[in-house]
Amino acid sequence: MASKPPRYSAAGLLTKGARGQTWPRVWREVPLQKKYDVVIIGGGVHGLATAYYLATNHGITNVAVLDKAYLGSGGSGRNTAIVRSNYLTPEGVAFYDRSLTLYNSMAVDLNMNVMFSERGHLTLAHNDSALRTMHWRAEVNKLQDIDSSVIDPNEIKKLVPSLDTSNESRYPILGALYHPPGGIIRHDAVVWGYARGADHRGVEMHQKTEVLDILVEGGDGPDGKGPGGKVTGVRTSRGDISAPIVVNCTAGWATLISDMAGVKLPISTRPLQAAVTEPVKVFLPAVVVSGSLHVYVSQTDRGELVFGAAVDPYNNYNIRGSLDFTEGLAGHVLELMPGLSRMRLLRQWAGLCDMTPDYSPVMGFTPVEGFLCDVGWGTYGFKAGPVAGETMAECIATNSTPKLIEAFKLERFAAGNLVGEKGAAAVGH
Amino acid sequence: MSASELGRLAAQSGEVIDRTSPIRFNWNGNSLTGFKGDTIASALMANGERIVSRSMKYHRPRGYMTADFWDPNGFVQVGDDPNVRSGHRLIEDGMTIEPQNVWPSLDRDIKAANGLVGRFLSAGFYYKTFIKPQKLWPAYERVLSTFAPGGKVDLDTPHRYHDKRYTHPDVVVAGGGPAGMAAAAAAAEVGANVLLVEHEHQLGGHLLWGSDADRAVAAELANRVSAAGVEVLTNTTLTGRYEDNWVGIVQRSHPLAVERLIKARAKILVVAPGLIERPYVFAGNDKPGVMLSGAVRRLVNMYGVKPGARAVVFTANAEGDAAAADLDRVGIDVARVVDARNGENVVSASGSSKSVKSVKLGDGSEVEADLLVTATGWTAPTSLLNMAGDRPVYDEGSARFYPSVTVDNVLSTGGISGDGSVDELVAHGEATGQLAAGRASVVKHRVQALTARSVPVAGPEPEWTADFRPELGRDDHPELFRSTTHGIVDFSEDVGSKDLVAAAKEGYDSVELLKRYTTATMGPAQGKLETVNTVAVLAEARGETIEQVGTTVWRPPYVPITLGGLAGRNFEPVRVSSIQPWHEANGVTPIIAGAWIRPEHYGNPADEVNNTRTNVGITDVTPLGKLDLQGPDVPKLLSQLYTNKWMKLPIGSVRYGLMCAEDGVVLDDGVTGRLGEEHYLMTTTSSGAASIWEWAENWLQTEHPEWQVHVTPVTTGYTSINVAGPKSRELVGRLVDDVDLSAEAFDYMRVRTGTVAGVENCIMWRIGFTGELSFELHVPSGYGLHVWETLMAEGADLGVKPFGLEAQRIMRLEKGHFIVGQDTDGLTQAPAVGMNALIKLDKEDFAGKAELAWAMESDQVPHVVAIQTVDPTIVPGEACQILKGTTNEIVGRITSSRMSPTLNRSVCLGQVDTAHAEAGTELTVLLRNGQRIKANVMSHHAHFDPEGERLRG
Repeated sequence: MASKPPRYSAAGLLTKGARGQTWPRVWREVPLQKKYDVVIIGGGVHGLATAYYLATNHGITNVAVLDKAYLGSGGSGRNTAIVRSNYLTPEGVAFYDRSLTLYNSMAVDLNMNVMFSERGHLTLAHNDSALRTMHWRAEVNKLQDIDSSVIDPNEIKKLVPSLDTSNESRYPILGALYHPPGGIIRHDAVVWGYARGADHRGVEMHQKTEVLDILVEGGDGPDGKGPGGKVTGVRTSRGDISAPIVVNCTAGWATLISDMAGVKLPISTRPLQAAVTEPVKVFLPAVVVSGSLHVYVSQTDRGELVFGAAVDPYNNYNIRGSLDFTEGLAGHVLELMPGLSRMRLLRQWAGLCDMTPDYSPVMGFTPVEGFLCDVGWGTYGFKAGPVAGETMAECIATNSTPKLIEAFKLERFAAGNLVGEKGAAAVGH
Repeated sequence: MSASELGRLAAQSGEVIDRTSPIRFNWNGNSLTGFKGDTIASALMANGERIVSRSMKYHRPRGYMTADFWDPNGFVQVGDDPNVRSGHRLIEDGMTIEPQNVWPSLDRDIKAANGLVGRFLSAGFYYKTFIKPQKLWPAYERVLSTFAPGGKVDLDTPHRYHDKRYTHPDVVVAGGGPAGMAAAAAAAEVGANVLLVEHEHQLGGHLLWGSDADRAVAAELANRVSAAGVEVLTNTTLTGRYEDNWVGIVQRSHPLAVERLIKARAKILVVAPGLIERPYVFAGNDKPGVMLSGAVRRLVNMYGVKPGARAVVFTANAEGDAAAADLDRVGIDVARVVDARNGENVVSASGSSKSVKSVKLGDGSEVEADLLVTATGWTAPTSLLNMAGDRPVYDEGSARFYPSVTVDNVLSTGGISGDGSVDELVAHGEATGQLAAGRASVVKHRVQALTARSVPVAGPEPEWTADFRPELGRDDHPELFRSTTHGIVDFSEDVGSKDLVAAAKEGYDSVELLKRYTTATMGPAQGKLETVNTVAVLAEARGETIEQVGTTVWRPPYVPITLGGLAGRNFEPVRVSSIQPWHEANGVTPIIAGAWIRPEHYGNPADEVNNTRTNVGITDVTPLGKLDLQGPDVPKLLSQLYTNKWMKLPIGSVRYGLMCAEDGVVLDDGVTGRLGEEHYLMTTTSSGAASIWEWAENWLQTEHPEWQVHVTPVTTGYTSINVAGPKSRELVGRLVDDVDLSAEAFDYMRVRTGTVAGVENCIMWRIGFTGELSFELHVPSGYGLHVWETLMAEGADLGVKPFGLEAQRIMRLEKGHFIVGQDTDGLTQAPAVGMNALIKLDKEDFAGKAELAWAMESDQVPHVVAIQTVDPTIVPGEACQILKGTTNEIVGRITSSRMSPTLNRSVCLGQVDTAHAEAGTELTVLLRNGQRIKANVMSHHAHFDPEGERLRG
């Protein structure tokens, strides 16, 4: 067990600064052991949050989080860091509201400033049917005490002066769903904060440790894998590890990892592209989303505009990004904010999204005993990171499915009980 | 020594400025003069301006360091253009240039006080503070965000678009230095069609600031390029290499466009960007007056600018030696040449905030100087190769990265590939150009062989040209990254080597984590100056080699591109029907419906409803989706797409159908009629016109390629007019002679083809959404306006009036017809809409069958029902929630609501759960204002004429 590390604070910065001291490692570098109680595959927000809550809420600390690259190298570091809870279904609202609550207190809980910027989230409506959907969401949200309402173009203009709210534009803005608690957060800090918190409680983080196979005995499939089997451990690029519980917390590779255990997932993988501009002085105070124009945008405290769009319309593992994406994106951004034509696009990238048929995740137990999944997060995995970690930890510790994720079980696809967040997820962020 | 030691030198033999053409511009409120050909940087330095910006975090004064496009200190605001690279942008008459990131002014900057507390503001300090009290973080955040670097966006900036250009050259060469020019010329000389793009304003690369002999070689190569017919674009940069050599090129030199995006499919791409000089890390390395050797040589030789009065030159290579020689030649006092190859070193630079004053050397001595020139090696900008999948490999001996294995259709030459004399570089470039041309001809042959053409491709495919180029050498170069002191590594982010070491010790010790934590290499140069030093400092901190640490991944674009350039002309076409001129001339209020602009109403929708119900109304329904289906297997396709049966539809008949996605959710609805033996016309909702076409093609192309069906979208091929109302038969009869319109001959749900107002081949349907007797006319679109005007004229005595979308929506709601996407949503499965008779589970297959089989068994589906409020004057807003009694439990919602002019009361459609779907159930509706009202579930969807007597009339 690690000794109690110094807390982060302004006073600590002053003392260490004055004395020229450095801080201890954010997480320890320790040798990989042969045996753990729980092995978590994927060192992103989901995997690290699961490890953190296993340790804090359930006292399970003999846990290893494995990542084939560095912590936060997948979707956790590639998303556009938007958080909100104005979902459509009561289940969706309850789930994401819990996540938002955890994000809200995260800086204090993890003793790391994750720079949660509760700046308001606007989803624009450019036609009457979109406006009707905004009203629908607002009415549902109000009943669940979520701060969410429909505002008109004048109010929108006051909140975000850079938007073209005139009726001269090709797709005039008719209104917006305004969600003041929504905002952005420093996604990397969330990763580091969870890793640090988990490390303090004894969890081990192992980077550059790629899982090559999942060891299963007694299953119906080839090599004793598949339904009916029982997990015994994992084979990694640094040797075999035995563990009675293995959790798949990956994105982009979720199906490939599950295949290693003989578990088939109804998931297809698509890239979601994003881009960032050069910094300029801060002028955009809220997160702006336009479903019709396939764009969402926010400005970081560093002054960069961060853009995202809809997932690419084809299955692909390519994370390089495409030229036509940036062209379309720029066109749509200028539709919304014509004054930005001289801002410069600095960098583009893509992340991988694991899409399920009902735009909802796959969480909890699988037909292979000891092999659990927290995958299929589509385009909204980051928002759900904390609550997913909390519920997965409970699932592992209690060996039963928490109510909050009951609807996300893998069995639902065979039973025909798909989850109904698809309507709302159509306007992704 | 003072800033005025900067200035203009006597004319230089290689200068690119025109001293006979003075240019006046405005800098920081002062009017200054430069010459044509000056960059902003050269003009400012010629005017004695040493400080151009303040650094991001500590607001330290900064002067030019590289004096080119990559200069991290050279960002300025030019009019409404933020973040302009002043080392690259040429001055223009009347240009207004302002410093960025200064507060309140360039000379006196209050935030410079941050420098005093720098040791408390180590990289990532913000992650460790402002945590408690949480309530104060928003206030802290506002302060932090004032430190955002960069210029200002002027929200009134117009989008001056320019069309993009597409081109398909055999060979694209990125970089017009000696190797690039030689490659372009050599490829063109053997017949390749070549595009050469050069980032700078002139071809020549480093030869431009070299000796007279160097410039003679450059001129000769430029002539050769021109003679060979190469297309040359200067001040143009290749920004990204994407799949299959799809390359983006940004042309900043177009006479009309701010920036023009050129998209090229290069058969072979030659990457020849040269090298980017690397800064040296030491205490005070960001002081104004510390410059790289390339910057000094460029300023002296190309712009005749005196960069200082007394110089120390720290050199590890020939460029540094040449810089010392250049300075000496133009009469600048070279106080000391510090030769790294002899183990000499620079330890620190100190001075005032305005300039370096003295330089401390490794031997402990101090030399007074206002200019410190460093030449410590290069970074190979392998970015474009990385985008093609290449991973650079570090070479200790020459202290830089090299490409490893490139893909077949991307070649590299010049400095990025190795060192050599000018002749050797040219020879390598020529060999590369020939190789590129050879391979391009193979690619061309393959493309032609794949393309259908009348004349077959001649001969067999040429052999893929093997790469037998002689390798360029690698000159020995000392590994010089950081001195014995700490200094700035990332100048635009104000990140020092000390920050990097501290972060690495904290565990952010892989290059990607380090980058994310400290933001080193995340600024506008995207690591072109900083990456290698960052990697070197990390390697040092970890006790590893640079090779072990590796580099970050370079992502596109190679240089930033304006959003305006990327967007180009925004193609968002507007669709209107051929009747639009009439609508506009007759007081229409338009509504934007996706791509279409269509009539919402002509003044009073209620009057339009009343007239249609009493007399006759006509409405323009052109956006209605129309798919012409032909072939023997059309019934199979229809059976696959719709939930009901289609194998036996008689000719001349029309059937309504419901389409579901695989998840059983209602996707679209509409009618399809059989026009002939193997000829059908399908109508879809207006919003589904495009997606249902794709949906049909998806089934045909991926699931049933054996079906013989041809689908042609004809939505815009016809103008569609619905003629509705009790007098509609009489009105249509006045325009049609060749079809018997009588109720017996042409009854409800039939289709006929005939002549309307003299227009042949019109399709007439006896259907309608309004609930009235109605005829839907599809007229070849060129004649739409004619038919409309004829209807208006012929029907004057019948009281014909137009009606818009709003009246149509009211009438359909009175009739209880649901709208897909309004009364249904992304979750509504087919059983919800009350048409279970149309779901034929005994069919072999149809889209959504498996899900619907489940859904039909389950009772837990929402139901679309007609709802009337107890108080007929209240119209609940659409999306108002229906609650269980006095609780907040949601049991449904209002999906459509209007005041009905026909019934003189409010009418609604809504979705409710099974427990509340029974006719007569009392519902509680929560209005948007919070009030709860009572409403009842009706026994029939139709509020009006449930038996449908009117429409069958």
